[in-house]
Amino acid sequence: MTKEIKIVLPAYKMLYSIAFFVILSLVRSITYTEEIGIAMQAPVAALTAVFCADTYIMEIQSGRREIFRLCDDRKQTLVIYRRLEIQMAYLIAVSVPGYLMFFWQNPYPYGNTLRAELFGITIAVIGVTVFFWGMMSVTVCSLLRNQWAGIGILLVLWMGTNSTAGDRLLGKWNVFSFAFHCLGQDADFGWLCGQAVCIVLGAVMVLLTPYIIRKRG
Amino acid sequence: MGIKINNLTVTFKNGVNAVNHVNLDISGGIFGLLGENGAGKTTLMRVLTTMLKPAQGEVILNNMLYCQNNYRKIRSKIGYLPQEIDLYPNLSVQECLEYMGELSGVETKECRIRIEEYLERTSLTDHRRKKMRQLSGGMKRRVGLIQALLSDPELLIIDEPTTGLDPEERIRIRNLLVEFSENRTVLFSTHVVEDLAATCSQLAVMKKGRILYAGDVRKMLEYVKDKVWICDVDSEKEARTLEIQCYISSKQYTDRGMQLRVISEKKPHITRMCRPCEATLEDAYIWVSNRDADIF
Repeated sequence: MTKEIKIVLPAYKMLYSIAFFVILSLVRSITYTEEIGIAMQAPVAALTAVFCADTYIMEIQSGRREIFRLCDDRKQTLVIYRRLEIQMAYLIAVSVPGYLMFFWQNPYPYGNTLRAELFGITIAVIGVTVFFWGMMSVTVCSLLRNQWAGIGILLVLWMGTNSTAGDRLLGKWNVFSFAFHCLGQDADFGWLCGQAVCIVLGAVMVLLTPYIIRKRG
Repeated sequence: MGIKINNLTVTFKNGVNAVNHVNLDISGGIFGLLGENGAGKTTLMRVLTTMLKPAQGEVILNNMLYCQNNYRKIRSKIGYLPQEIDLYPNLSVQECLEYMGELSGVETKECRIRIEEYLERTSLTDHRRKKMRQLSGGMKRRVGLIQALLSDPELLIIDEPTTGLDPEERIRIRNLLVEFSENRTVLFSTHVVEDLAATCSQLAVMKKGRILYAGDVRKMLEYVKDKVWICDVDSEKEARTLEIQCYISSKQYTDRGMQLRVISEKKPHITRMCRPCEATLEDAYIWVSNRDADIF
């Protein structure tokens, strides 16, 4: 596990992810505590897409693929899963101080929801978002066998779903429905549908990973 | 462990036949694969490691045909050192090898014993704590070779393993390979003739995707027996005239002018001094790679 951490979490990745949250909390203004999660979801998705893009592609770029491919198929898949787990756990962990950094702006509550509850909901949403976009990143980049082409396609997808058009078209089934939900409608949990879509699609991609690595690896 | 290659052709998307109707029988010990850059050696090796699928022909490893159903079994028997490889830069040499060993399914304790042994044999013991990114090109190459040896493969495929090594280290690696090849097959690809002359008794010469010669090293040397001459010439002009008429395998400046190693069926007449000498594998390679393939 230690070796895997060193492989997937080099210093530059840790630095840019931390810088990302610092900058986000400085440039994205919020008024209410409830807005923090809304402000974080889409940017974290973009960060995850870039962060996880080299999970498998690094083997191709460095010429190690030909050795990696000689290993048992199950082992190859397990390595990819383990790398993803580490990166996802790291991104969720770094989201916690990222969330707290927004309190520099002294937000105040809009509704009656407890701060701890809001924090819990946001981290859960971030977790699902990281899972979906992480899986998406590995899947698309591995299919294309190119990190930058993969990131490009993910960017298009990100812009499509994180837009007014995306919101109108997909509504509560949009993967960013949490970011689009209205404040003050505490009883409206329609955004959970978007989260369910993320979980289901993410799970499908988990199942597809061994096949993609075998065919496109 | 034996490999039989029958009528193998690999065609790239642009229509180029990188390997063209190749037939080879590779048995135990070190088998050399010699050829200029772009001859098709790496492509052939990539087919043998199951990374590339041929357009035509078949490969049989120990009575196992190369096909999707057998790939898993075949891969478990192979150790491979690609021509260009950048092992995990953030891991130390020890960590990197342990990680590669884990991936290959070598038991942890056994893996550590092997790493210890091979680090010693390749003079890397003192560098085991260094990060991979801190190593020189030659050191990286040696770590690459160790990772290929770690799983104790029945078939070891190595693509230019001695690139970037100093002469002393080159000899050590050759000795290690000779020892490793007992009861195993090592396919050693290089364009450095000296490496093969020191290690293998069987080889194949490739050029433009075709096999020009395959067989015994001694037999290949016989092709140039009594055809190699050492000639002294006075000027560059004279040397150039000789180059047009014969094959030159080496050229050196001396205190009396220039000394050329000439491969010619008849004694060259244009020089002031010309004497026969013993043929080397390099002479035979120059001769074979410049002659029509059909005569061999």
